[in-house]
Amino acid sequence: MIKAVQKYLLLFLILIAAQLLAFDNIEFSGYINPYVYILFVLLLPFEIPRALLLLLAFALGLIIDLFLGTPGVHSSATVLMAFMRPVILVVFAPQDGYQKGTNPRIACYGLEWFVKYAATLVIIHHFTLFYLEVLSLDHFINTLLRILASAAFTLLILVLSQFLVFRK
Amino acid sequence: MRKLLRFLIQNHFIILFLLLESFSLFLLFSTNPYQKFAFYRFSHGIINHISTRISNLEDYLFLYRENKELLEENTKLYNQLASSYSGTTAKTADRLIQGSTDKYLYVSARIINNTVNNQYNYITINKGSRDLIEPEMAVICNDGIVGYTKAVSMNFTIVLPALNLDFIVSGKIKKNGYYGPVSWNGLNANIMTLVDIPHHVALNRGDTIITSGYGGIFPEGYLIGTVQDFRLKGGNYFEIDLTLSPDFRKLENVQVIRYHAKQELDSLQNSIRDD
Repeated sequence: MIKAVQKYLLLFLILIAAQLLAFDNIEFSGYINPYVYILFVLLLPFEIPRALLLLLAFALGLIIDLFLGTPGVHSSATVLMAFMRPVILVVFAPQDGYQKGTNPRIACYGLEWFVKYAATLVIIHHFTLFYLEVLSLDHFINTLLRILASAAFTLLILVLSQFLVFRK
Repeated sequence: MRKLLRFLIQNHFIILFLLLESFSLFLLFSTNPYQKFAFYRFSHGIINHISTRISNLEDYLFLYRENKELLEENTKLYNQLASSYSGTTAKTADRLIQGSTDKYLYVSARIINNTVNNQYNYITINKGSRDLIEPEMAVICNDGIVGYTKAVSMNFTIVLPALNLDFIVSGKIKKNGYYGPVSWNGLNANIMTLVDIPHHVALNRGDTIITSGYGGIFPEGYLIGTVQDFRLKGGNYFEIDLTLSPDFRKLENVQVIRYHAKQELDSLQNSIRDD
């Protein structure tokens, strides 16, 4: 138990550092801004108390906001995403349910399941985030393109990270 | 009471969600641009330390010393440029008031943090009030304008760059002198928009747009960009897309322009507004 807490705390810190030091500096043609820190919310165990899930997501979003100088933007998007997570898990549940002792990862439930699960939540998160950032519908289509391109790139990194970094 | 308690426990997930979400949205909507900026400055005090170190390492890799020598040389030349001196009479007046003969002072600085992919981007540079930098000074690079200084601490300055929705500068068409506000619409890191140019003005793709000197921050004559595309808006005025001259993605060194008589100019202009 203690070990698991340590593991997730480490993941929390690594993802924040990766987001701020590496992924925030990535930019292709102004359309793609990957936000990979949300991997933390995706990887939390199935059995996590739902209140704790919300609080962790809020803390994560708020820290990112603090560093990017965007009060409220990332925290609202991340909290909404965490709120939707239990529903999405039910929607994409395998026929015999989720097994005890497993995690929401490719290693346990396969690539197809993970992509469906992650893509839905990434899109919910990015959609909220990008529209809250511009706070207008002026460039609706343009923002939509930025959301789709960024979400695709974020998803790609999340899937790759499952093979390269978080194999266990 | 017990019913209420049970209700709260049963619905704690939704209630907590609503609480956290409304708190976040409250943060988002209740902060004005200045507070957002203060938020940014606070957090960047922490990051600047790390950024400086990373930046120092990069310098080592990219021949810091040679770069610095060139930069200082450049500053020296800028300060000697004829346009940095006022005319002879003004010179005496300047000397009496400021104890200096120069109209402008250029301070070279290096960028230690820069974003281009947000709607409200900011740049942090490694010079501050210790190097005579104050808020609202123009910042340029060799290719053209970069932005203006916004907040200054002893060793660092945060620059509000052209790529920020709050940025605005008065630009004019070099060949005929028509001027209007230039701003960024947040869509593309290379494109700025110039508006309020009357429809009878002859325009060509590739025309040069420079700063007009109005507004008090930017001196006249610095390059903003070139005309890429233009269209009539509402029938009477052109909306012009400019290709921004500097590439903000690879900015490294900038010059901050200190205009010695700025305070005098500002207080004179404000004295009329107050009446």
